[in-house]
Amino acid sequence: MASSTVPRTTVVRSSAQPGGREEHALEVENIVKRFETAEGTVTAVDGFSLSVAPGEFLSVIGPSGCGKSTLFNIIGGLMGGYEGRVTVSGETISGTHPAIGMVFQEESTFPWRTVIENVAFPLEIIGMDKRARQMRARHFIAMVGLDGFELRFPSELSGGMRQRVSIARTLASEPRILLMDEPFAALDEQTRLLLGDKVLQIQQDLRQTTLLITHNITEAVQLSDRVLVMTYRPGRLKRVVKIDLPHPRDSEVISSDAFGRYVAEIWHDLRVEASLGMHEDESRARNEKSKR
Amino acid sequence: MRRAFADTRFGPPAVGVASLLLALALLEALIAAGVINGFIVPRPSQIIAAIPRIIVEEDVLDRFLQTALEALWASLLLTVVGIGLGMLLFRFRLLRLATETWVAALASAPVVLMYPLFLVIFGRSATTIVMIGFAAGLSPVILKTVEGFAGTRKVLLDVGRSFRLTNTQLFHKILLPAALPTIFVGLRLGLIFAMINIVGVEFLINFGGLGQLINELAERYDLPGTYGAIFFVVLVSVVFFFCAERIERWLRPGM
Amino acid sequence: MAAAGNVGAIAPTAQRHVLWLRAAIIVVVLAVWEAVAASGLLFRDVVPSLAVIGKAIGRLLATPDFYRNLSITAAEIAGALLIGGLAGVVVGIAIGANRFLARAYESFIYYLGPTPKIIFFPIMIMWFGVGPGSKVAMGVLSCFFPIAVSAAGGMREIDKVLIRVGRSFRVTAWQMVSKIYLPAMRAPIVNGIRLGLGVAIIGTLLAETKLSNRGLGYLIIQAYSVFDMPRMYALLTVLFVLSIGVNALIGRLATPGRRGVD
Repeated sequence: MASSTVPRTTVVRSSAQPGGREEHALEVENIVKRFETAEGTVTAVDGFSLSVAPGEFLSVIGPSGCGKSTLFNIIGGLMGGYEGRVTVSGETISGTHPAIGMVFQEESTFPWRTVIENVAFPLEIIGMDKRARQMRARHFIAMVGLDGFELRFPSELSGGMRQRVSIARTLASEPRILLMDEPFAALDEQTRLLLGDKVLQIQQDLRQTTLLITHNITEAVQLSDRVLVMTYRPGRLKRVVKIDLPHPRDSEVISSDAFGRYVAEIWHDLRVEASLGMHEDESRARNEKSKR
Repeated sequence: MRRAFADTRFGPPAVGVASLLLALALLEALIAAGVINGFIVPRPSQIIAAIPRIIVEEDVLDRFLQTALEALWASLLLTVVGIGLGMLLFRFRLLRLATETWVAALASAPVVLMYPLFLVIFGRSATTIVMIGFAAGLSPVILKTVEGFAGTRKVLLDVGRSFRLTNTQLFHKILLPAALPTIFVGLRLGLIFAMINIVGVEFLINFGGLGQLINELAERYDLPGTYGAIFFVVLVSVVFFFCAERIERWLRPGM
Repeated sequence: MAAAGNVGAIAPTAQRHVLWLRAAIIVVVLAVWEAVAASGLLFRDVVPSLAVIGKAIGRLLATPDFYRNLSITAAEIAGALLIGGLAGVVVGIAIGANRFLARAYESFIYYLGPTPKIIFFPIMIMWFGVGPGSKVAMGVLSCFFPIAVSAAGGMREIDKVLIRVGRSFRVTAWQMVSKIYLPAMRAPIVNGIRLGLGVAIIGTLLAETKLSNRGLGYLIIQAYSVFDMPRMYALLTVLFVLSIGVNALIGRLATPGRRGVD
């Protein structure tokens, strides 16, 4: 639909090479990222690799402080100064790229724009005319189930609705890869499950290649085709869990035995990493106390 | 490179002070070269030389104490009346609903312009100056007192009730400590407004302490003296403001 | 903010009570005023009766001379706000955007802001003469500081995630300013202008009371010197109503029919 008005996206799409390269929509190879801090060099991510197949829903899960958000910023092109490569359909990218659409963890709607103006934002940026972008925005607003709220301001919506606006806004830019950083972190558990259903349904309908970064095990298993478990700092790949739950899948799936087994399996690996993180936080707090 | 320098502790402030000194030096040079009229702007070196002179000859210490005394009276009035009215408004919700917008509107009114009226009522005296300072600083104290009490998180009050505190205990143990930081903010704002207006009215009605000093020197066409006195008064206000801020921060530990 | 929300959400009956209470307070204050005026306890004319003040206001508003002086003062304040506001916004944005500039110069602005500006009036007279020039200069000197401080704060308080959103959609530098920075800073800038207007009014009018032969401040001090108390009350009333009104009007600008801005 109306793809001719989004030249950048269509051009990239048509340039995708047939054959072996097409296997991976997104590939991340051997990412190493170090930060200079007052206490010396901290390696946040150490040789992390992943690849997402077209149409796949991949999650990266790890404890707080494992460098998940660093990874998110690197893939999204908001952070530079790393070693390794990020490629989209075989093309190495650096910096932001139209093929990658980001959804942020924080509340990120523009408070001064209505829902429809928020969703139309990326279309406005590329200079689409007003009527066309309003039509397109309405389509994506309906997709996330917010039809009827087009003229409301974010302050008049609930947290879950606002996050749906952010998702619709990113979808409206028609990215080849949807990249999300704990998009449901600020929501309550039930809203999170229901919103997960919505996102999964959209992802299946659009065959949208998706990379989700999260610390929520339920969410990762509920939504993903594969889950990558990360270690605590420095962030490395610990293991890959393939989720063989049937599609179409909704949040009812969390009551199944298979679901429980996946959760247990992932928690088994994650527990060690999470407790490492907790111990380090405690000792840091203790040091700061003694410094005072 | 500049980024790193911007983060050093003393680098940027040093640049700030250096550029101020440079500006003064430039001014000195321009006046010496006759580009700027020395009869309108005295040389910075003359101004600096004038400061010890006015301190000795114009009883600056006396004047300073006079202004400080006026500020002290105004702040006492502000504390008692302002916090008192604020508590009254908090205690009687209906009263607050009726008058809070009025108090807020008063904050945006040019209260100090009433000084001729105060002159008629209290005469050309320290009372006029104190009352103007008090009137100018009143609304922030009232508003912040109400805000402090009303902004106490409900869960804290519920904690108090769960321990079966009496109303008096609830006030002393929970409401007051929770409201104090905000009340101090109001007091600081009120005091600063009072101070600004006290010095201003001293200047305008040619009575009292530091403000009058400037008026007198200006009327005598003592150019370096006027500039020097203004510099001195600005310095005193900055120190006062700085101290008020420090004291307020010191009074609210853990925040 | 939670407190303000509390006040906002009140039942219709309570609202009626509030209106009654307001009316009662006004009636009581006016009655006491009138009683004091009639008692003659205070020195002659310090508290004139309401009727006399009312008449004075009527007389004031009927004279073209008042409007001439009002427009002079208004023009001075507008000029001050234009010059001081523009300078304040530009300096504020520069300081808010650049950590180095902020650390080098912000404390000057921050600490000079709350000093009495009227004491600079003798200097302003020397520089800009005894006419409107020195009054405008006083207004500029007054309103520059609060506007610069608000703009700098507003610039820094822009939610960082909104800037990241902009970058993720690859906005150009100009789009970043026009579509993200400026709309996000609207409320703090308007608020700064509001504060700035308040102090510009004070700076300009005080200067007029000190040395001038026109403008509202001059009218006030003239009423004082001939001891025309009703006229002085009339002038102060009109001045207060005008400044509170303009202030409220600008406050509206921060959120024109858009409840979502805050």
